[in-house]
Amino acid sequence: MKNIGINLSLIILLALSCQIKAQKMDNMSEHKGYKVGDIATGFKLKNVDNKMVSLSDYKEAKGFIVIFTCNHCPYAKAYENRIIGLNHKYASKGYPVIAINPNDPKVEPQDSFEGMQQRAKDKSFTFPYLFDEGQTIYPQYGATRTPHVFVLQKTNGKNIVRYIGAIDDNYADPNDVSHKYVEDAVDALLSGKPVVQATTVAIGCSIKAQKD
Amino acid sequence: MRIQILILMTMINFNSQGQNTKKNMSGELSGINDNQKVTVVNFTKLETIINKKDNKLYVINFWATWCSPCVMELPDFMEVNKIYHNNPKFKMILVSLDLAKEAETIVQPFLVKNKMNVEVYLLDDNKRMNQWIPAIDSKWSGAIPATVFYRNGIKLDFKESKMEKSELIEIINKNL
Repeated sequence: MKNIGINLSLIILLALSCQIKAQKMDNMSEHKGYKVGDIATGFKLKNVDNKMVSLSDYKEAKGFIVIFTCNHCPYAKAYENRIIGLNHKYASKGYPVIAINPNDPKVEPQDSFEGMQQRAKDKSFTFPYLFDEGQTIYPQYGATRTPHVFVLQKTNGKNIVRYIGAIDDNYADPNDVSHKYVEDAVDALLSGKPVVQATTVAIGCSIKAQKD
Repeated sequence: MRIQILILMTMINFNSQGQNTKKNMSGELSGINDNQKVTVVNFTKLETIINKKDNKLYVINFWATWCSPCVMELPDFMEVNKIYHNNPKFKMILVSLDLAKEAETIVQPFLVKNKMNVEVYLLDDNKRMNQWIPAIDSKWSGAIPATVFYRNGIKLDFKESKMEKSELIEIINKNL
């Protein structure tokens, strides 16, 4: 806990000092998309079983663990079992995993819909694995990489973004994880507490889109 | 496999020497093997390498062998490095985000295969990503490739995307 506090203040300090310099730069690289506290859009996307899935289908859910992920990316693959674990642990508590592949298969053929179906079958996914056909949803969320997690909390019928970032702090070794960011966030929400670490960053594969 | 690659490279080099003797005579054969090492570092060490106060423009590219847009832009980076590497005020550094245990089995053979004559570090600091990513740039979401430009520890520019060669040259010329 103490560590998190120190880390947070470090990050804030670093972010502040970077921002001063960054203001001089042109802001082309500024990310659009959601910040913590924003209302997340609903969507209706095709699942690997060819049925359409929408957040509004989940009447009983308290929220969602929306994860932009894909078939080809080594980081996404490294996290697959942990994504399955998240759904296993939290779906019954009201926070199901909704996985979305945001990549354009024309740019990354491994991330085709058929590839998704195969992946879901091979790994026995127990959660929907949706295809962001036409790539309309990931830009609204502001996802930039796979895997990229958005924890949403249902509040008065709206889905409020409560956490954006990585699943935990060690993609390479699940046995050497010190901070389970997503679990900490969902646990806090389930117990009615604010999320302490509401954003994190981690290396991931850039989302593949054709250049304009 | 490695021996085959080396033999193939030697053949290619002899061929190109025939056409371009002066340029390749002195360096490339020996230079390739001398320089194509990967040094595994943590972020604390990397910071001292990229934040040197020596008046050089540091072009630092974060990449990985498995990252296809990274691999696609590397030939342009190598060409640009060839143009500028003799300039005493210029230095290009590649920072691989491959796994540390793959430094010698995957990253180094990749450098040899692609004749990448450039300083390469492998950043082995997975558990502190949430600290070093914002330290490099507060807007970096963590997607790669990403390229950052420093001089004397001061950031001059940052791109979180694949770069066109012309764009890279433009930023270098602007800051050199």
